[in-house]
Amino acid sequence: MARVSTRRIFLERTTVLVATLVFLLPVCWLISTAYKPSNQIFSVPPRLTFQPTLDQFRAAFALFDVAALMRSSLIISIGTTVLSLVLGVPAGYALARSRSRYSAGFAYFFLAIRMIPSIAALIPFYLLMRDIGLLGTWWAVIVFNTMLNCAFVTWMMFSYFKALPPDMEEAALTDGCTQIGAFWKVAVPTVRSGIIACALFCMMFSWNDFLNPMFLTTLDSKPISVALLTAYGTKDITWGTLGALAHFSTIPIVLMALVMNRYFVQGATNGVQ
Amino acid sequence: MAEITFENVSKTYPGGKAAALTDFNLRIEDGEFIVLVGPSGCGKTTALRMIAGLEDISGGTLRINDKVANDLAPRDRDIAMVFQSYALYPHLTVAENIAFGLKVRGAKPEVIEKKVRETAELLELTEFLERKPARLSGGQRQRVAMGRALVRSPNAFLMDEPLSNLDARLRGQMRAEIARLQRLSAVTTVYVTHDQVEAMTMGHRVAVMNRGTLQQLDTPRHLYDKPANMFVASFIGSPPINFMEGELTAHEGGPALACGPLMLPLGEAGRRLSSRRPGKVILGMRPEHMKIAPEAGSGTFGARAAFVEDLGATLLLHMDEHGIAIGHANMVEDDRDLMTTVPKLKALVDSSHRIQRDDRVHLTIDPALILLFDPATGAAV
Repeated sequence: MARVSTRRIFLERTTVLVATLVFLLPVCWLISTAYKPSNQIFSVPPRLTFQPTLDQFRAAFALFDVAALMRSSLIISIGTTVLSLVLGVPAGYALARSRSRYSAGFAYFFLAIRMIPSIAALIPFYLLMRDIGLLGTWWAVIVFNTMLNCAFVTWMMFSYFKALPPDMEEAALTDGCTQIGAFWKVAVPTVRSGIIACALFCMMFSWNDFLNPMFLTTLDSKPISVALLTAYGTKDITWGTLGALAHFSTIPIVLMALVMNRYFVQGATNGVQ
Repeated sequence: MAEITFENVSKTYPGGKAAALTDFNLRIEDGEFIVLVGPSGCGKTTALRMIAGLEDISGGTLRINDKVANDLAPRDRDIAMVFQSYALYPHLTVAENIAFGLKVRGAKPEVIEKKVRETAELLELTEFLERKPARLSGGQRQRVAMGRALVRSPNAFLMDEPLSNLDARLRGQMRAEIARLQRLSAVTTVYVTHDQVEAMTMGHRVAVMNRGTLQQLDTPRHLYDKPANMFVASFIGSPPINFMEGELTAHEGGPALACGPLMLPLGEAGRRLSSRRPGKVILGMRPEHMKIAPEAGSGTFGARAAFVEDLGATLLLHMDEHGIAIGHANMVEDDRDLMTTVPKLKALVDSSHRIQRDDRVHLTIDPALILLFDPATGAAV
């Protein structure tokens, strides 16, 4: 029995290790390129030991306005997240508390919106933004991403509020709250972990999104995700520079995921806390 | 303080098969503790939620202090409600939970602090004030829910089966505690339960409900002694009353009840029936009124003990009767007939009788304690 269990533990750990390596290898390679001298990046066989250098970071800062790129990414991500939550949380609540027999159907319809390939909506949206003069601004990306994310938030929050017994809101009503007061003071704090999970999903989606800002932003408003690819192929820019730039694209979102990990897991798995 | 009146109130849920409440009339006096009791689906919680303003009224008028309250928002009724699930706010501490209603209504911080402290002392919650509800036991949560209602000094308390999630010992304690607090505060209280012990011990008056209608509104003692119909007789009393088909007849010059081989001269107790013509009746005999007769004789009947439950002080005998038709009240819960199988005759006797399964015993009953019902309507005769 003990042998079987030891073997099983060994197999489990080996599987986890292999899976981790598969996921981390490209990231490690990209990160390491940022610290290698240019002539060692493609050396065959790859060199595991090298003299670290910050030259690639100096080049990245010389070629890109990193602060402006980060600012664009932050504004687009935070704007999308805030707008998606402001619209999606009350919409999810309204659907969850609706006595209509079609409310669940509506919620799944919202989820279906999220499943639409964004490219299908991007072209008409591009024309719309051009006509109203928002093309090339952060607003164009924020509104488009909100359209997609808000549907997802509505569906997620519908599930959270549906799992929340209405007793607490009714208690708040008899305690003297209005319907909006009961929503704001009781229902929203109770599904806090769900809201945080939704915020993280929105934030990650918007931060990593490439396609939508690629079409909807200009040189002044593009985020770091777009800068990374548009930089590729320019003769002055090396893989090392891209590796350095990738730090700024990945570190904020990884840090956020690590810090909020507890809420993320709670919200995505436990439902109402 | 509030006086609450239902006038021909009805409620039909969209898509509902039957009305949840039909022509419901009830007047709850100021300061009264009234208990609404009945099986699941009888409309008692619907009536309570209507008072709170959490349920729309389909027809009729609900008045609170002579003011029509049909369309009044819950917050404008100044009524506090204790929910079956307690409905505590999980993100707030005990102190914040208790203070919530006062805070929402804009009370001053020093007033809130004083009232929360007083309420916590009254309910022995002082040491738990900084805890979140998740870290409280069932009894403590129940007390916090009570505290949240008490702290506001509202017009009326509404309680929706507040003890149903507690264990039997704690339920007994809290039953007494709630009754004490109500008498202390003298606030009009409407208490919903399906537990007849709570109904019989807590309220000044009890409203027995079935299928959305009020069956009887009376004091607990009257409900037990003089039930208005077979439903009330069967709902109030534990173990439940025995119903038998019988005949009102004349015997040796006076009225008597014939029930299978049993012939019970009614004597003085039959006076009330002098105006009733002989004919079929339903006899209601409470198990605790049945006595063991030392031997067979007039006014006794024999039966076999099919099953004996030893309850300590008493024995509950489930008898196989012979020649006696056992009837049942028309008692329905969630569209299921609760007594589709014909029950056995039950007798609750002193445990000093050493009765074993399959023993044959002779039973008798004081004719004055027999309840009679009309077989056609089920109403008391």
